[in-house]
Parts: sequence; C-alpha cells; structure tokens
Amino acid sequence: MDPKFTEVSQIFQLFKAAFVRKDFDTCIKLLSQLKVMLTEFKSLPPLFEEMPNAIQERTLARDIYEHAVFLSVKIEDQDALERDFFQLKPYYTDTYGLQPSSQEHPILGLNLLRLLVQNRIAEFHTELELLPSSALENPCIKHAIELEQSFMEGAYNRVLSARQTVPHEIYVYFMDLLAKTVRDEIAGCSEKAYDSLSINDARQMLLFSSDLDLVKYIEEEHPEWEIRKGFVFFQRAKESAPCKEIPSLQLINQTLSYARELERIV
Amino acid sequence: MEWSMVFAMTTKVIETLAFSLFRIKSYLGRFLYQFQIFAKMTQDIEMKEQQPALSNSLSITAPSTFQNLKEIAALIEVGAYAREVRRIVRAIRWTIQLRRKLKASVLSAFLNYVLIPGSELHSRLYSYLPKEDDQDMELDTATSATQAPAKHPLPELEVYCCFLVLIFLIDQKRYSEAKACSSASIARLKNLNRRTVDVLASRLYFYYSLSYELTGDLAEIRGNLLALHRTATLRLDELGQETLLNLLLRNYLYYNLYDQAEKLRSKAPRFEAHSNQQFCRYLFYLGKIRTIQLEYTDAKESLLQAARKAPDAALGFRVICNKWAVIVRLLLGEIPERTIFMQKGMEKALRPYFELTNAVRIGDLELFKTVADKFSNTFSSDRTDNLIVRLRHNVIRTGLRNISISYSRISLADVAKKLRLDSPNPIADAESIVAKAIRDGAIDATLDHANGWMVSKETGDIYSTNEPQVAFNSRIAFCLNMHNEAVRALRFPPNSHKEKEGAEKRRERQQQEQELAKHIAEDDDDEF
Repeated sequence: MDPKFTEVSQIFQLFKAAFVRKDFDTCIKLLSQLKVMLTEFKSLPPLFEEMPNAIQERTLARDIYEHAVFLSVKIEDQDALERDFFQLKPYYTDTYGLQPSSQEHPILGLNLLRLLVQNRIAEFHTELELLPSSALENPCIKHAIELEQSFMEGAYNRVLSARQTVPHEIYVYFMDLLAKTVRDEIAGCSEKAYDSLSINDARQMLLFSSDLDLVKYIEEEHPEWEIRKGFVFFQRAKESAPCKEIPSLQLINQTLSYARELERIV
Repeated sequence: MEWSMVFAMTTKVIETLAFSLFRIKSYLGRFLYQFQIFAKMTQDIEMKEQQPALSNSLSITAPSTFQNLKEIAALIEVGAYAREVRRIVRAIRWTIQLRRKLKASVLSAFLNYVLIPGSELHSRLYSYLPKEDDQDMELDTATSATQAPAKHPLPELEVYCCFLVLIFLIDQKRYSEAKACSSASIARLKNLNRRTVDVLASRLYFYYSLSYELTGDLAEIRGNLLALHRTATLRLDELGQETLLNLLLRNYLYYNLYDQAEKLRSKAPRFEAHSNQQFCRYLFYLGKIRTIQLEYTDAKESLLQAARKAPDAALGFRVICNKWAVIVRLLLGEIPERTIFMQKGMEKALRPYFELTNAVRIGDLELFKTVADKFSNTFSSDRTDNLIVRLRHNVIRTGLRNISISYSRISLADVAKKLRLDSPNPIADAESIVAKAIRDGAIDATLDHANGWMVSKETGDIYSTNEPQVAFNSRIAFCLNMHNEAVRALRFPPNSHKEKEGAEKRRERQQQEQELAKHIAEDDDDEF
C-alpha cells in the first residue's frame, strides 16, 4: 500500500496548495481524483479491515474529506457539502484509535448550521442528540444551538447580531443565507403585528442599507403593502367585520346527519 | 403429593372441557377465552395455596419447586406434541412466578431430570450452576432417579432449560456468564424452526439483549439482532419479529441513534400485536422517536397509550412513560393536571417534572432556569435534558400570554422586564418575540413601534360567532359514533340459542302481549 499512500499524499499536497490559492477548479478535479484513489484503501469505512498502516490511511482520508467539506462551502454547493459530510461522519463516530481532529467541532457546527438554514429542524435535533454533552460546550456548536433557540423564540435581532460573533470564518456563508431567511420571517411577523411602520423603522428592521432596496423588496415580495406619506401600511383592513352570512350549506348538512342518526336509534 | 394429583386432575378436566367447548363455533370464541382466564386463575390460586402450605419444612420446599418444574416440563411436552402454543405460553407464565424460588440445587436436579446427563448441552449448562451442599442434592436425585426415564429430550425442553439457567444467572447478577450462556443458546436456536419454540425463543432474545445491556456491550449484538430479525421474518415468526424489533429499537435508542431507529421502524413489517407487553414497549419507543423529531401530537398519543396499556406491575415503565408524556404535553403548550403527578408510587419520581410544570405554567424564566439546574442530574439520566432546553420557548410564550391578557396596553420595556429576558438588548428582543407570537396566533395584539408599546385586542363575545356550533358538532358526532359502535358490538347472550322456549312460557308471553294490546286499545278509546 505504500506507493499508493505516498501518491495520495502527494496529490493531497497539490490540492491543499490549490485551495490556498483559491484555484477552485483545480481543487475540484484533484478531489475527484483523490476520492477514486481512496477507494483502493481497504482500511477505510465501510470495509474497516485492519491493515498495518490503517491509522495513517484513516487519518489521511479524514483530512481529505475535511478539506472537501471546506471546499464545498467555498464553492457554495450545499448538496456537495451534504455528501461530503456524510462521508466524513463515520470517521468521527465509528473509528477508534485516531487522534481527535481539530476540525471536528467546527465541521459538526457547520452541519448543524446547514440544517438550520435549510429549515430541517427535526434532523437538527436528531443530530444534536448524538452529540455528547462535552461537545455542547464547544463554542462552534454552542453558537449553532443558541442560533436555533433564538430562531424558535423569534428574537431575530439576536440571530443577526450573532453574525458578528462567528467562531470560524467558514460560517460566514451560512450566516448570509440565514440573514435572508430571517428577513423573510421578520417581514411576515411585522405584517401581522404592526398597523404601519415608518420607512426608517422598516428599513432598520428589515436590514436594508437604503430606502431604494426596501422599496424594491416590497415590490418583489410583498406587493400588497402600500407605501404612503413615508409610512408602510400593511393591509389588514380586510378582517374588520365578521361575516354576516351564515354558512347555510354546512348547517343543513349537519342537521340532516343528526336527524338521520336519531332515526336510527331504536 | 395429594395436592399435585388434584392439581393434575383439575387441569385435565379443565382441558377436556376447553376442548369440547372449542368445537362450538363463533360467539363462543370469547367465552372460551374467559374460560381460559378462569382456568389459569384457579391454577394460580391452587399453586399459591400449595407453596405456603408446604413451606414450613425446609427439605420439602426444594422438591415442591422441583415438582412444579417437572409439571411445567410435562406441560411443555404435551404442548410440543400437540403443537399448541398456548400451553407453552402458560408454562412460561408459571416459570416467571417460580422465578424467586429457583436455586442452584433445584436447577441441577431439574437438568438431570430433563436432559441426558453427559450430553454436551447438559454439561455446558451444568457448569454454570454452583455446586451447593450435598444433602439436598441427594434427596432430589433419589426422587428423580425413581421417576426419570432416560429419554431423548425435545428441542423445546432443551431451549427451556437454557432459558431457566439464563434467568437464574441474571437474577444472581452473573452477567458475563449470562452473556456466554445466551450467545450459545441463540446459536442453537438458529437451527430450530418450530412454532412452539418461538415463544421460548423470544424470551431468550430478550434476556440475551438484557445481559449484554447490563454489561454495557449492546453495540456488539446489533448485527446479530438484525440477522435474527431477518430469520424471524422469513419464518413468519410474528412474536419473534415483534420482540426483535423492540430490542433493536432499544439498542439504537440507547446510543441515541434516532435516525437509524426511525429508518428501521418505518421499513419493518407491521402487524397485529401478539403480546401486550411488546406492544407497550413499541409504543414507548415510537413516542420517543417522534418527540425528538418534533412531532409532538403523535408522540403524545403513543406515550399516553403506552402508559395506559402497561400492566400495573410495571411501575418503572409507567413512570418513564409519564415523564416523557409530561414533557411532550408541555412542549405542545398544554399543562398536565396535578393528578398525574399524584399517582400511586410515582410521586417521588415525578417530583422534578412537577416543579418544571409549575415553572412553565407561571411563565417565569428565572424559576425555570433554577428548576432545570437543580434537577439537571435527573434530567440527564432520563435523557430528557435536550427537550427541557426546548421548553424555554414555551415558558416565554406562556408569560407573554399572561401579560397580554392582563394588560390592555403595556410598554415593551416593561414586557422585557416581566419576562426577565436576560440579553444585551431586551427591548428589541421583546419586540421581535412579541411579533413572532402574534404571527403564530399565540396572542392577540398589535404593536406600536413609534411609541414602543403593545396593545391587546378586545376578545369579542364568542357566543355571537359560529364557535359554539362547531364545538357542539364535534361532541355530538363523538356521542353518535360511540352509540353506533356500541350497537355494532352487541352480542346475544351465549346460551340463548340452546334454550328452547317451553310451550308454557310461550303461552304466558302471548297472553301478556294480548293484555297489553287490549290495554292500549282501551286507553286510546278512553282518550277519545
């Protein structure tokens, strides 16, 4: 296995160099090459055979997959991220004898964040259950957990301020996505909660840098809002008077069914 | 000795009766079942009377247990030959009652009686039993030597012996030996494919998993359990399938692998439950999975059903079902009643959850935090700590609801103070939280951003809307449904078809009807 091992290590060095240079196309090509070569190693999951230099091979494979995860974030491909993360997961859970990786917690936090952004809260919690309580103290993971809590409670400003306190620079991509989701949520809540808002307040709450952006956003997403005299009016006049008409068809159906059932009683 | 003969005779009588009744069809099915219960009850009563009566002299206690074991062995033989599973089930039930009385001497005597001494199985099982003092052994071997013919043991009996030794080892807390014994027994079971063995096999699987769990090695047997489940499905062994599915779910949930547990559960074949206990366990595991996946309504239903169906003796199981049910109800936003926490035997165990419910009901975040910290050990051992974290959101909602009902207008700064939100920017937080609550429909209010206050809406007169009609309709539908179900479930009294109406009775009845008719006719005339 040794010549293959050295070959893989060499290509991996090239990959790392390209990554630092931000030459993502070369990176992608080299990565697919590496993945094919990794299938020849028998000591990796799912085979898990015990070869003499198993630990080295597994450590190398784990490094490769961790870099793959970072790469997929940089090229903003969420599906690739999901795939690479699933390939990486057995290295964290099922392999023994490896030194704990320094990137383990940031990557776990990254996965949690991804699930949150994609609104897969059930899977978020399932993943959370798998983590031991010691991992919950780690800043990266704690960040994701607090984010989820603030999201559930509705304290969106906390979500947005958390963007400043990102523990790892790789999280910035997801925080941007999250900002967009948060903005939609805030718009929905404000619609129901306020009668009207001044343009300045609306701009602040929805985090736009200029009035023009705000107007464009309203035209695209919420055409039913009106902008008059420097105020944004949310249309809520419709629900003023309760309907005067009686739902006659439904009542007739119900009464007929009562009559039918009563007749059946002997 | 006389007791045992009476005992045997009554069993025979009851069995022949049961047989004859079995031939009569349809609506006697239920009658038969009740009869069996009655038969079992009488047997249980007789056995219980037997044991205290003879417990005064020590030397006789061991043989009486031994006698019982011999009877059980005889029952298993009969059941195996007649291919009747219910006898095996009854045999297992009696064994569980005898569990406390099993001693090494009794077991070794029984093994000598049933298995061929010197066979491989016998020597293996015998090695697990410690050698006790000799006089008891001599007494037993004397009695057994007179009665035991050397016969080739049935596979059911062999499995039954493994089962006995296994529960003996577990009760003695010799878990590693239990592990070895159970693994060997499971290996033997792979070759047997008889329905009568299935019942015993499912018990064996359970103790196999239990012995591994008590030594902390559950992950090792996961592959074996999956293979056994496959085999059970192929052989259409439904009880085995059920038991193994529950054991696998327990295995996954022990290691918090909720994802895999759900995948298995959704793909495994489902059928009518054969055993009430297995069904309860299945409901409990299902409830747990659903809770973690945030499907609180389904979870609540499963957990409450499990708590209700569980037998009264299973106190620990019911306690933990109730704990999870309480948390799920809190997460759904409803407050469980005080009576749940006051159930017999569960008060101390449910105390932390009671205080938690209190904190959520009041809507006080500080109190909630103190309670969560105080009982954090209990919560982490129950694995509910992550769920408690999710409850924080509910506490805030309840607090908000209280505030919105009590105040017609309140400034956001005061709201933040009342909710005791500890954050750097409480007013903005409070504003967004209130906005979200309004959007979710939890409270009915509007916000005024410029002045920074929250205005609650007036709750209108509900009787002028459609609401009462809808509520009435659901209740009426429920009652009518119940009535229809009851009518459908009506049965004729069991022996009515047998009694022929005697001629006299018929004449009487006709006379009564005629009088009634005349009476009505006269009344009508009178009214005119």
